[in-house]
Amino acid sequence: MKLTSVVLAILVALVLQVTLARYMVGGRWAFDLVLVGVIFAALQWGPVAGMFAGTLGGLAQDVLAGDVVGIGGLAKTVAGFLSGTIGQQLLLVRPSARAVIVGVATIVHRLLIIGVFALIDQQWPAVSWGVMLAEVIINTSCGLIAFQAAAALPNALERQRLSRRSSLSRRNW
Amino acid sequence: MRSTFSLFVVICLGHVLLISAQVQSKSGLPVLQSVAFGSFARAQQLTTGIADTGRSIWTNYFALRGAARENAALRQRILDLEVQLQEQQARGSRAQTLENALGLKESLVARTLAANVIAGNPQPGSLTVMIDRGSVDGVELGMAVIGERGVVGRIIAPLARDAANVQLIVGRSAAAAVTFERSNTGGMVMGGYGDPPLRAAYVSSLATVQPGERVLTSGQDGIYPRGFPIGVVESAERNSSGAREITVRPAVDFSHIDVVLVVLDRPARTAPSGK
Repeated sequence: MKLTSVVLAILVALVLQVTLARYMVGGRWAFDLVLVGVIFAALQWGPVAGMFAGTLGGLAQDVLAGDVVGIGGLAKTVAGFLSGTIGQQLLLVRPSARAVIVGVATIVHRLLIIGVFALIDQQWPAVSWGVMLAEVIINTSCGLIAFQAAAALPNALERQRLSRRSSLSRRNW
Repeated sequence: MRSTFSLFVVICLGHVLLISAQVQSKSGLPVLQSVAFGSFARAQQLTTGIADTGRSIWTNYFALRGAARENAALRQRILDLEVQLQEQQARGSRAQTLENALGLKESLVARTLAANVIAGNPQPGSLTVMIDRGSVDGVELGMAVIGERGVVGRIIAPLARDAANVQLIVGRSAAAAVTFERSNTGGMVMGGYGDPPLRAAYVSSLATVQPGERVLTSGQDGIYPRGFPIGVVESAERNSSGAREITVRPAVDFSHIDVVLVVLDRPARTAPSGK
């Protein structure tokens, strides 16, 4: 169940990423919904799930982007594992606190990618700090929405179940 | 927790190996390949040395019985090959004559194929888009992709039957051979920079490139057809070390690309037009 949920979360994030990114190609706005999905999996289901989600999502992005396969995978695996470990140690439950982890993970992930590219190219790549800041803000906001929704979903389902049961009992009466 | 960490280390090592297998070392070979090749070469040298010694002893002392017969067969073979060579030379000469007679010239009007952009860059910073045309439509790797206002990029792997990946000209490791319209000098424009995302390189130090000058494809790279706009020179200044830095603002607005054209005909490499 957990594996299916992780794969599903990454698939949804990937589809959303490529669909929405179409409208922001080369612009000043950048976001990485797959990373949000990875951190979501890590905080919901633990470091192993985060690691698996990071590997899966990162490799999928690398393959689709036609770039060096493994860079995104490595960065997202590290981000997923660290987020999962921190989430487990600090017992983060509030959506806002979890969203902060998404923001921090975005910075770590981006710096890791920049570092790997610097190692490969043997020179420091051009970094747009404005775009990076935008990515942190958008990712954090998307993370907040995702965690809020995840927190609200069980209650909503429970309410629906109770209302259905009460209507059935009334009918029996 | 310990096993989780071990798994994490193993996965990270797997990624590093995967990256190393693709990244080129200074010798031009992938890092993993060059390390594996270096290690394997020593063992291979040893085994080859032993095998060669054994073979040499056998051929020089024990296997000379059929040498005369082999010699005769080889002489016959050389004769046959000489005849074939002369035939090929005659055919080559005829083909050259025909080409000259027909006056084969490069076509200026290239065949194009319209395509819709169906997905954006999956990896922020990678600057690629996906189009709804693939190998079944005649799209091949390395083909140029242009938009209504100028060059968009080129087709890169992976290429599917009905979809293709386009590396945008502003992306990291993208480049195109260009001509500066007013100064009529050649150079190279490379992507992956901040704002503006294009930089020009290999431009003659004698050329007087000025801001506002249009930058067009020269066709020398064999990818982009000649004469398509890449952008406009935004600044041409010398830095503290005396080297000139030319920044180029792309002609295409990459935040609004819906329909593009894939150039199906590859341009012939043209003679340098710059000074």
